[in-house]
Amino acid sequence: MSNTSHEVAQGPHHNSGAASTALSAHSIDKKFPGVLANDSVDFDVRAGEVHTLLGENGAGKSTLAAVLCGLYQPDAGYLMRNGKRISLSSPRAGLQHGIAMVHQHFRLVERFTVSENVILGSRDLPFRLNRRELNEKVAAVAESYGLPIDPDATVGDLSVGQRQRVEIVKALYQGAEILLLDEPTAVLVPSEVEKLFENVHAMTAAGKSIVFISHKLGEVVEISDRVTVLRNGRVTGHVPGRGTADTKELARLMVGRDIELNAQRATHATGHEVLQIRNLSLSVNDVSVLTDISFNVHAGEMVGIAGVAGNGQRELADTIAGLISPTSGSVTISGSMTTDRGPVQAREVGLAYVPEDRLGMGLVPSMSILDNLLLTRDRQVVVDRISVRPEAARLIEQFEIKANGPDHLARKLSGGNAQKGLLARELSGGRGATKLLVVCSPTRGLDVGAIETVRRLLNDARSSGQAILLISEDLDEVLSLSDRVLVLYRGAVVHETAGETAQLSQVGAAMAGLSGGGR
Amino acid sequence: MLRIPFRVVFEQRGETARRLSLLVPLASVLAALFFGALFLLATGYSPIDTYINMFRDGFASFNGITDTLALSTVLICTGISAAFAFQMNLYNIGGEGQLYLGLIGGAWAGIALGDHLPTLLMVPVVLLCGAFAGAAWIFVPAFVRSRLGTSEIVSTLLLTYIGASLIKHVIYTPGSFFRNPNTSFPQGRLVADSASLDSFGSSRLYPTFFVALVIAGALYWVVKRTEFGYRINVIADSPKAAYYAGIHANRTTMWVMLISGALSGLAGAMLIVGPYGKIEPSIITLGYGYAGIVVAALARNNLGLIIVSGILFSGLKVGGNNLQVTTDTPIHIGVMLQGAILLFALGGEAFRRYHIHVVRVHDVSTKKVAA
Amino acid sequence: MNENIWILMSGDAIAIATTLILAALGALFTERSGVLNLGIEGILLTSAISSFLAADASGSVWLGLIVGSLIGALLASIHAVLSVVFRANQIVAGLALVIFGTGLANFLGKPAEGKTVTTVIKPISFGPLSDIPVIGPIVFGQDIITYLAIALAIVASRYLFSTRPGLELRATGDDPATVDAQGLSVARIRIRYTMIGGSLVGLGGSWLMLAQSAGWHQAATTNGLGWIALALVVFAGWRPMRIIFGAVLFGFTLQLPFTLQAEQITFIPSAFLEMLPYLATLIALIALSRPGSRNLLGAPRALGTPFVRDER
Repeated sequence: MSNTSHEVAQGPHHNSGAASTALSAHSIDKKFPGVLANDSVDFDVRAGEVHTLLGENGAGKSTLAAVLCGLYQPDAGYLMRNGKRISLSSPRAGLQHGIAMVHQHFRLVERFTVSENVILGSRDLPFRLNRRELNEKVAAVAESYGLPIDPDATVGDLSVGQRQRVEIVKALYQGAEILLLDEPTAVLVPSEVEKLFENVHAMTAAGKSIVFISHKLGEVVEISDRVTVLRNGRVTGHVPGRGTADTKELARLMVGRDIELNAQRATHATGHEVLQIRNLSLSVNDVSVLTDISFNVHAGEMVGIAGVAGNGQRELADTIAGLISPTSGSVTISGSMTTDRGPVQAREVGLAYVPEDRLGMGLVPSMSILDNLLLTRDRQVVVDRISVRPEAARLIEQFEIKANGPDHLARKLSGGNAQKGLLARELSGGRGATKLLVVCSPTRGLDVGAIETVRRLLNDARSSGQAILLISEDLDEVLSLSDRVLVLYRGAVVHETAGETAQLSQVGAAMAGLSGGGR
Repeated sequence: MLRIPFRVVFEQRGETARRLSLLVPLASVLAALFFGALFLLATGYSPIDTYINMFRDGFASFNGITDTLALSTVLICTGISAAFAFQMNLYNIGGEGQLYLGLIGGAWAGIALGDHLPTLLMVPVVLLCGAFAGAAWIFVPAFVRSRLGTSEIVSTLLLTYIGASLIKHVIYTPGSFFRNPNTSFPQGRLVADSASLDSFGSSRLYPTFFVALVIAGALYWVVKRTEFGYRINVIADSPKAAYYAGIHANRTTMWVMLISGALSGLAGAMLIVGPYGKIEPSIITLGYGYAGIVVAALARNNLGLIIVSGILFSGLKVGGNNLQVTTDTPIHIGVMLQGAILLFALGGEAFRRYHIHVVRVHDVSTKKVAA
Repeated sequence: MNENIWILMSGDAIAIATTLILAALGALFTERSGVLNLGIEGILLTSAISSFLAADASGSVWLGLIVGSLIGALLASIHAVLSVVFRANQIVAGLALVIFGTGLANFLGKPAEGKTVTTVIKPISFGPLSDIPVIGPIVFGQDIITYLAIALAIVASRYLFSTRPGLELRATGDDPATVDAQGLSVARIRIRYTMIGGSLVGLGGSWLMLAQSAGWHQAATTNGLGWIALALVVFAGWRPMRIIFGAVLFGFTLQLPFTLQAEQITFIPSAFLEMLPYLATLIALIALSRPGSRNLLGAPRALGTPFVRDER
């Protein structure tokens, strides 16, 4: 394998049929209301190579992928497949040309079995379905690329990594020659990423083309034969991949300036214990979700919770916020027991909570900023909006929220501004002065500028003496910001380490449930 | 395979244009009338005569306009009843049945307590009893909806059928408390004089009309300005945000449904203190409760606009009802038009919310290249 | 007690179940695609009167059934266009259809008032089989549409769970975004099954008119059967086979008042008997929604929500 990849890195000419371009896009334009998502973009992928689309959120890489697979139709420009001009009116037309997309948010019917999902939408399916025959066929396709799956398993029961495998098998089953993988590693733990990369190599060795979409520089350098960088809908560079790529250069092309993404950890003394969690356990419908969790967060300290999605993070946050009553154990916020007391009481003793779901849970989309400010505050029987208005205006200014004033509707805010608004409300206190801030995935889906701002706000809050519990699936974020890091796996804390000395490999192993060390 | 060469593209409007908010419902009514005209033509009636008669009998005569306002008293109440629940995505479509119970509750108070109280007290008591009975009728659906999540749509509707049987039962059973004991022909027993209001002059319009207006205004204020209204708005938009903020959706759900039921019951009681004075079993054929749903939907659940849509709609109904007398057109054309107006309004709503354009499919991918 | 009457009642209960099976199957197909059509009652009524008029004019009950089904599909297509193309609120659209259908049916039914059906659908003769005591009249005393309805439920079950279009249909109701990503048209599938569903409801309404009622009685013709059918789908957990059992069960409660009356059992007020089917449906509905009930797990996840492709 390593031999092959080395040769590919030398250049594409190695491939059979010298530089056979499998799919190319020429001066693609794609407009959305108010945005030019793709601005005369050129792109091509050859048979048997991995060509990466690199760019930050909103750079237009997902849009380009959607155009390549037929989900969107370009406003201008055209596609060529094996040298012939094609026009794709739908993903189905894309599939006919052997182009398939593996979405970041899996497109799988959870209630269906693996094989039902794999065959859904296949063109040459008979009217009557023979379950056993199809299961065998699906398993055979999967095995030929080293992707073992149980065709009879229900997708809802599978792990994220397994679901991704189902998606890939599905594309291969449908005869895909070109696979577009949209941020495939975003949801995986490091060990699963390795597995995925092995699969990718197996596929390119079999002559398939992979369009790899990512914003993570490290893995891009590792997996790609070539890299195309997008920024603000434009191509800012075509760069060779593996071995030769310069990470700094790629970062500059991607962001447009030199940037230090790793926020500085401010070091300073921490104070008394603000959050105390003792032997916290939670079962939902007799299924254990959280098991015997105990830890403290001190004033002026940021504690990070790392883990793969679905290992109890949301439930932990909701329990601390008083939304869920634990089965056993206790939560104490600045000296007051808040277990079983509900969210209002928790807030009165200093809790603030920024949930992962900003718009829809943290903010009410159809309400104004002003009304959203009132959501976690004390409201009288007749709601007094007049006296809150000046504060709303002040917070909009202070947190640099781009809005037309307090009456601006929450749903019309951009992701970054919605998050700033949410932080503004939570940090400014309401029922009591904020002492503890619980934040979940605070920067997910935001652009680089907003990420910087949000991280700065969190650091400022910590410097001002607030205790912060940062729960995030973005391991880099947790490691770079936190004073201490806890790893949550299957509802239990399996690893604890200081932020400065944390080892990526150890934390990664703990996230995958491979280690119980460190605690 | 059949390939349609066009694709309809929906583009969300940034700001909803104000003029469209008015234009679309109006256009819907016109479109429905046009559709109705085609239908009348096809079945051998004159649409022009029909509509002229409907308009005259609904709006353009003293009797017409007062009858319209009188009917709107009921429809505004059932309309608010529907809208109040709908705005929180609670689909109480059993307003019809709650109205029957309001009739029974109101009649009970009017008969049982009538001789002991003066009119000034008696009328409010009758209205309250009707409202209470309406609320009682929705209690089970409200309870199971807020506790178990049982669909209120089907449960409130099933109770309407049960309510209709109840109305028949109390009138047709010999010796029933609500049946007039002095006639052999089954009809309702009249409530005490103290429980009856006088209509204005020679019209059939009762002071309850103003009660309906006041209630519409008061509830509008409650929704816009109070904590209770704030909660309703949060839950309606995102139940998860309500959960996050510690707002008890169950309790609010229960209250909103009970109030909705009470409003339909109130509509029934208004018929007791007003035009009926007794339980009129023909109520089960009139569909005032269902009409409330149309009124609410036309006003897009806006409690202020319901007064307008309630009056407009009543005019249509009054005009339609007189058709049989004046032109021999079946009165059911009125009901059909109600449904049609609602259907067109729903379709029109899409034009208000989206920019709709039609694109030729094969053009989209190659448009600019060719140019 | 007269045994024959109870046997007769069982036969009648199965007969009345026919409309319920057809209407509930129609609702099931519609809902499996993710569309909630509350307009069943309106469709039943309109197709009933249409079939009456068609049969009356042509003298053929079969033509009546065909016209009734077509009208059912036509009305359902209004709902489909509103909820799928215009993304209207499906609940309100369904209600509008009930109101519209009721008005339309009564308008069309004006000339039919007082008339009775001249030609009716007759039970199939199974010769000596029909003479078997008890079983004979119940099992072999029905007409072709009743057998067809039961057969349809069985076929529907096979169609849903072991054919390609059935797979696509179930996926559309559960996860339209996935279906869309496969390049299948969610809109087309939803419109198709809403119309197929409407035609089944229409067939049920026509049959009710041509085999059950002697004449047109306005809204009393269906008397809320459409709503019971909707509850029946929940009751059956969105599975066709279970609809048969549920429908027969409800058929009994609908038939009971008549039987008791014939049996001169009068200690139960007739009003209560009249309420019985609705009460039974209500209780069943509440019992089924207790927490953790397996039935509700069968509900299509995207039921009632318009599909909008996520285009920023």
